[in-house]
Amino acid sequence: MTIPGFILRNAFRNKRRLILTILSVALSLFLFTTLRTALDLMTDPPTTDTAALRLAVRHKVSLANVLPEKYQYRIERVPGVAVCSKFTWFGGIYQDISKSNFAQFGVDADRILKIFSEMAVPPEQERAFIQERTACLVGYKLMERFGWKLGDRITLQGTAWGCDLDLTIRAAYRGQGIDETLVFFHHEYFNEAMNNLGLVGTFWLKTENAEVIPSVIAEIDKAFANSDAETKTETERAFQLEFVSMMGNVRLFLGSILVAIVFAMLLVTASTMSMAIRERSREISILKAIGFDSRQIFGLILAEAFGLAMAGGALGCFGAKFFFSHLDIYKMSQGFIPMFPISTETIALGLLVAGLLGVVSSLVPAYSTLKTTVVAGLKELD
Amino acid sequence: MLVQIRELTKLYSHGEIQVTALDRISLDIAGGEFVALMGPSGSGKSTLLHIIAGIDRPTSGDCHVRDINVADLTETQLAEWRNHHVGFVFQTFNLIPVLTAYENVELPLLLTSLTGRERRQHVEAALELVGLGDRMRHLPRQLSGGQEQRVAIARALVTDPTLIVADEPTGNLDAHSAQEVLGLLQTLNRQAGKTIIMVTHDPKAAAFAQRTIHLEKGQLLNGNGQHP
Repeated sequence: MTIPGFILRNAFRNKRRLILTILSVALSLFLFTTLRTALDLMTDPPTTDTAALRLAVRHKVSLANVLPEKYQYRIERVPGVAVCSKFTWFGGIYQDISKSNFAQFGVDADRILKIFSEMAVPPEQERAFIQERTACLVGYKLMERFGWKLGDRITLQGTAWGCDLDLTIRAAYRGQGIDETLVFFHHEYFNEAMNNLGLVGTFWLKTENAEVIPSVIAEIDKAFANSDAETKTETERAFQLEFVSMMGNVRLFLGSILVAIVFAMLLVTASTMSMAIRERSREISILKAIGFDSRQIFGLILAEAFGLAMAGGALGCFGAKFFFSHLDIYKMSQGFIPMFPISTETIALGLLVAGLLGVVSSLVPAYSTLKTTVVAGLKELD
Repeated sequence: MLVQIRELTKLYSHGEIQVTALDRISLDIAGGEFVALMGPSGSGKSTLLHIIAGIDRPTSGDCHVRDINVADLTETQLAEWRNHHVGFVFQTFNLIPVLTAYENVELPLLLTSLTGRERRQHVEAALELVGLGDRMRHLPRQLSGGQEQRVAIARALVTDPTLIVADEPTGNLDAHSAQEVLGLLQTLNRQAGKTIIMVTHDPKAAAFAQRTIHLEKGQLLNGNGQHP
């Protein structure tokens, strides 16, 4: 027998309690990992090197306000701007509203793939998309969801805008780090359908390099200062975070749940360790009597609690990773959540939380045991 | 002398009330002796045993075991000292229920620098000595009370301690098992020269010892049953 073997024997002495405790910690860590990932996706969306060069230009007041189409000409002339596209959210209904939880945007067809170069489209499909005024470019996940094929015709009924769009699918994209559930169509076609209204939701642009970003932002906003529609230019990341902020203080809400989970986990582990140590207080006194000192006893208790918490933590964290990697989250959420990647950082954080909780939960029962003298411990439960 | 006790006093405080468990006791125990400590409940015999064994501390006075005053040792030093010098046998056996007889006996050796092979030799020898060579893989619940106590004696022996302390070792045993355990302790004393200090209520158990020391109200009685 070895000391680790002795710790294992102690841990396994009440198998039902051990399993229930590990499962409760695992479930807590599963929730922790899931919520943490949700929080990450909302507040720290996946990004790419190319995304760092993208800027969004919107109305200074809010995203709900629109900009004049003619701004594009001025924006394109700002030094450092490589390419710029209109980018207007359509918000149409496909068949019925329950199926329409995917976003559609009117864009400059010949430019959008230069700005979002992570979107991979076969060259012949790209040409077909650019050449046909009513063509649309669709993400692969959306194609799979509705069973669409190239050449299929779809109709989007306008809600926010007073027109319907009849579109033909001419291209499909896959994208590393890009939502594959979007539909892009010609802004020109949309504008015609709107009787040449000449309005744009946002402009998206790509800069020549990262160094020019501050000056480009300043220049664009300066160009439209004191106009009827002042602009706010921001990086893609800032734009996404601002978009999330429209949902309210989700971070605080999810953060509160995370804290509650961690606290519940602490109580469960502490309660288990207290019970386990209390029913063993006499044995611990025996260990002291035969020569184990306080440091060694503390080590035994700590190792058991730590091991238990880490076993549950590993089960919960890696279980979540396995679960979400084998689950078609896009289909299951009816297209609401395109992807749900559990990051290595989140797993590491989950395991760290589990380990810390194991240590913290053992401190109080370990301390109370250590301060009990051998004689007092032997008298207990006599 | 192996054990030299001088003016040993132990006071317990219960709020404002002080109880004298041991009152200026002086006592010598030679190496190789088998001593029985007898006395009524509350006489202080277990307290005396605990102080000699280094699991309790005196309020005043000295308790030297092999010329070391155990009262002067720190908690960590005491733990190490107990591992090397004291073997415990308790009334309620106090074996670890999830460990086999073999593993229970091996437990004190985990704190030593012995190799796994050396540990196995020591453990097997100790269990053979107490007549449980064929019960090594049994859990405590699979053993009788007498067998459990013999495992506890093997555990007390396995580190080859300076002295073995036994606190009512037959208190939870039937008459037959008690005889076996006491006979075993006597054999260890006579044949292996082990110094044994045993607390007991039972005059029959005390008869197995070479010397009986009587305590009453925290003081030693002389051979006539009188306070010195």
